[in-house]
Amino acid sequence: MSLIQIKGLKKSFQGTEVIKGLDFTLEKGRCIALLGPNGSGKTTTLRMLSGLMNPTNGKIIFTDAKKGEDIRELIGYLPQFPVFYEWMSGLEFLTYVGRLAGLTGKEAKERSLELLQLVGILEAKNRKVGKYSGGMKQRLGIAQALIHRPQLIMLDEPVSALDPIGRREVLDLLEGLKKETTILFSTHILNDAEEVCDEILFLHNGEFVESGTMTELRERHQQAKIDLYFRGKTDDYIPFFSSHVLTHSLRNEGNRISIFVKDIAAARQSFLMWISEQNLPLEKFEISSMTLEDVFMKVVGK
Amino acid sequence: MSQWMTLLQKEIVEMWRNFKWIWVPITFILIGVQQPIITYYMPQILDLAGGLPEGAVINIPTPTAGEVLSQGLGQYTTLGVLIIVLSTMGIIAAERKSGVAAMILVKPVSYRSFVTAKWAGGLVLMWFSFLIGYLATWYYTGILFEWIPVENFFQSFFFYGLWLTVILTITLFFSASLLAPGIAGFISLAVVIVVSLISSTLSNLLEWSPALLAGYASEILLDKGIPDDTLPASLIAAGCIVILLSLSVIIFKKKELAS
Repeated sequence: MSLIQIKGLKKSFQGTEVIKGLDFTLEKGRCIALLGPNGSGKTTTLRMLSGLMNPTNGKIIFTDAKKGEDIRELIGYLPQFPVFYEWMSGLEFLTYVGRLAGLTGKEAKERSLELLQLVGILEAKNRKVGKYSGGMKQRLGIAQALIHRPQLIMLDEPVSALDPIGRREVLDLLEGLKKETTILFSTHILNDAEEVCDEILFLHNGEFVESGTMTELRERHQQAKIDLYFRGKTDDYIPFFSSHVLTHSLRNEGNRISIFVKDIAAARQSFLMWISEQNLPLEKFEISSMTLEDVFMKVVGK
Repeated sequence: MSQWMTLLQKEIVEMWRNFKWIWVPITFILIGVQQPIITYYMPQILDLAGGLPEGAVINIPTPTAGEVLSQGLGQYTTLGVLIIVLSTMGIIAAERKSGVAAMILVKPVSYRSFVTAKWAGGLVLMWFSFLIGYLATWYYTGILFEWIPVENFFQSFFFYGLWLTVILTITLFFSASLLAPGIAGFISLAVVIVVSLISSTLSNLLEWSPALLAGYASEILLDKGIPDDTLPASLIAAGCIVILLSLSVIIFKKKELAS
């Protein structure tokens, strides 16, 4: 069952086209990651879906929305930098948005307490939001997105600003939420996307360059890859590997060279022979499968 | 309706938490009350200040109570307006700038309710503060000079308050149209000053201008009855309020919340 269909979505700012025509369908009950480097248009896309920005062109269709229904009832949105009324306590803010979303006073309060518990800041419920830490604000932001039990929640970089522990906790939270609603979240951290999501949409320069489930992506981009780890700089060895007949392409990062090869068996033999002839300080030799990072680099064309 | 009440309630509570319920009424009291007190003690003040040659006779005619109270109103025209603009200029602009407006408006909240509830909140504070301040001024005028009839007091209160409402709505309009509270405040003040100046210099041509309500309210105090032009001026004021408020909603809706 599809939840939203997006057709030819475009957005320009002062004549510059930032989003260049997106088409996709979100299926109900999935967790989808919107992945892309900084400035690729992730935030703009989410803002248009949440109704905070008007598309220059294109359509956003909620399959379930009745005619004339306010689509904001169906979605929960967490901006990249959530802001609250600092003079309110966490509980007051949640109750307030709950009532605005149509809950009665009593329902709003019960739901707020339930959510504060879920996101793990119940003990700070009466503290002023102005005194919350960054991580607590992020959790409160997630709670407010869920207050009216929306069908879709959209989170803009929900974990980018958190420390490793906070990040871990929020990811676990998302894992739990997957059972209840459809989640669309943007991130530039590949591991997070890989960990939580079923499906990945790659956004680059305002266009989808690739999409699919992790397995599909791996299959589509499957390519034999050899990772070589050296002690010290690797720059001197690059000419040999890049000009090697079996090399398809390579990446050089610090003390690691990742080489995509045409024939893994032949390449292994040839590389190892050369390394031992030259007596190079090899520390680790690895034949690995494509990671999301490799797919990312490949589709983004770097 | 319940959503609108929730929004209004939030405004009222916020003004309580940031002490607007305290400093705005107190300022209105101080601005108004100083007029009868200073006028009453003027001879003594001059005496104390000294510097007059021995034997000089100070002869200041005692003003009537109506004159004193209408001068009190005159204080609100300058300082009171400043307070209203300062306390209203950020009402929408500041929330949009900080991003909290976007947090609220991704919920199914009507833009019209959002704007009008803020307007209503500002209105409640303004009328309350003006009532308290003006009442105190009336009281001091009564005990130091003579008592102004309650009827005259309330008539002038109502028509003057209407002009203050126009000012508040102008400020709200600029707060909804501009991002920076300071600029919204500055432009609002400029508009109010220009409208007042034009209206008073061309008062023969523009006798229905809402800005002249301030003058008409003073005339009521001087026992001249309600001037004939008060009613049309009030209707035009009401019209301006409705139009400015509607425009505020339309412009606010059109502007994208995120930039």
